[in-house]
Amino acid sequence: MSEQQAEQTFFEDEALDRAFGVVMALASEVYVLKDRVHALEQLLTESGVIAEGALDAEPDAAEIAERGADREAFVAHLMQNLLGTQMSRGAR
Amino acid sequence: MDDRSFVAGQAFILAAKNYWTREIYPALEADYRDRAAVQDAPVEVPDQVAALIGDTTLYRYYGWLERHLQRFKYSGRYGLQPYHDERREALRQRLPADLPAGLLELDPELKIPDSFTAFDIHQHPGGVWSDEIAGFVYERGARTTTPLAGQTHRDLHQRLADCIAEDGIPDRVLDMGCGFGKSTRPFWETFRDAEIHAVDISAPCLEVAAMDAADVQARNVRYRQMSAAATDYPDADFDLVTSTMLIHEMPPSEIEAVLDEAQRVLAPGGRMVHLDFLPADDAFSRFIHFGHARRNNEPYMEPLARTDLPTLLRDRGFIDIEIEPFEEAEGSLDSAYPNWRFPWVTITARRGD
Repeated sequence: MSEQQAEQTFFEDEALDRAFGVVMALASEVYVLKDRVHALEQLLTESGVIAEGALDAEPDAAEIAERGADREAFVAHLMQNLLGTQMSRGAR
Repeated sequence: MDDRSFVAGQAFILAAKNYWTREIYPALEADYRDRAAVQDAPVEVPDQVAALIGDTTLYRYYGWLERHLQRFKYSGRYGLQPYHDERREALRQRLPADLPAGLLELDPELKIPDSFTAFDIHQHPGGVWSDEIAGFVYERGARTTTPLAGQTHRDLHQRLADCIAEDGIPDRVLDMGCGFGKSTRPFWETFRDAEIHAVDISAPCLEVAAMDAADVQARNVRYRQMSAAATDYPDADFDLVTSTMLIHEMPPSEIEAVLDEAQRVLAPGGRMVHLDFLPADDAFSRFIHFGHARRNNEPYMEPLARTDLPTLLRDRGFIDIEIEPFEEAEGSLDSAYPNWRFPWVTITARRGD
């Protein structure tokens, strides 16, 4: 086996080559999860645990509110990255 | 990795490859045509194509996806290699211990050429020869080598056998560089009364080929581990020598040795048919093909495209030399066919008397 070689690059900034790899890896993970959730729903339906389409209906206001805090935390974690600010006090 | 996740992960990669084939490639070609149309002089060589589109964002994504979707396919989290690695013991046990006599002959002493071991072809870790389970990995991966063909990829090989049959059914066939036997199978299935010999340098691939043949009690095929450039068959032993996707994996000197060997083992008047890739004689096709070669770890594709095959064949006494585009799927040679495809050709000739 040969020694490790640098990967081919396609973008002006190699950072984009690498970051897009992260995006596509996450996309494949999302698809695998989606496939699994679908299979799970189907199994639950077939075994009578849930009614067909039970998960498709719009959640009521109470459930939307109940999930609100988790949603806000998720979005904050996602988008905080765009601010480019330190979350702890760095040494100056 | 569970089977369902592997299948879903591979399906995602294939869907992305299909999008690249059907949407991104045509968009790239359209962009190129628009840019070429307003040039003062015709675009004649790949470097000029590179100057026109090489720095565009679209081409950068085109290249990235061609390179890295293939990496994901083999080495990603849902890649062929980790999936098969986890099943190594079970795969080993699938290989039948007692094959019919003569079906498979391996040569542990065979030296695999440095030209083949120096890099991992197709981005397959370890190549198609070094790992005992490489044949299984390659076989699974080849089902989606040409993304649009998918599971029906065998049709391509059957089409070649059908083309050959149009000019007569051979009696003795040598399939050079047979890999895991996908190219060979239509010969032993279609030419029932013919004796088919198939050689390759990869033992793991030959084992899968032999297993496949044993599964259906094929009686008219032998798989043998040897170089296509140096077989042990007597002179004038075959009336058909063929290969599929072999010569683009060889440097020019080895191609010449293979042609010498084909000439030697063919009976006078015998046919030689190689199915392989040669880009059309336009700058864009060559630019795309040479880029594919780089991104897929296939360094001998470009030298092959620059080789004067008719002269090599004439020098060896071959006659009736023809290099023709090959329609690997219905409509793929239509001028309006929009999608990316391999530039399939058949290289055919007969041994002179």
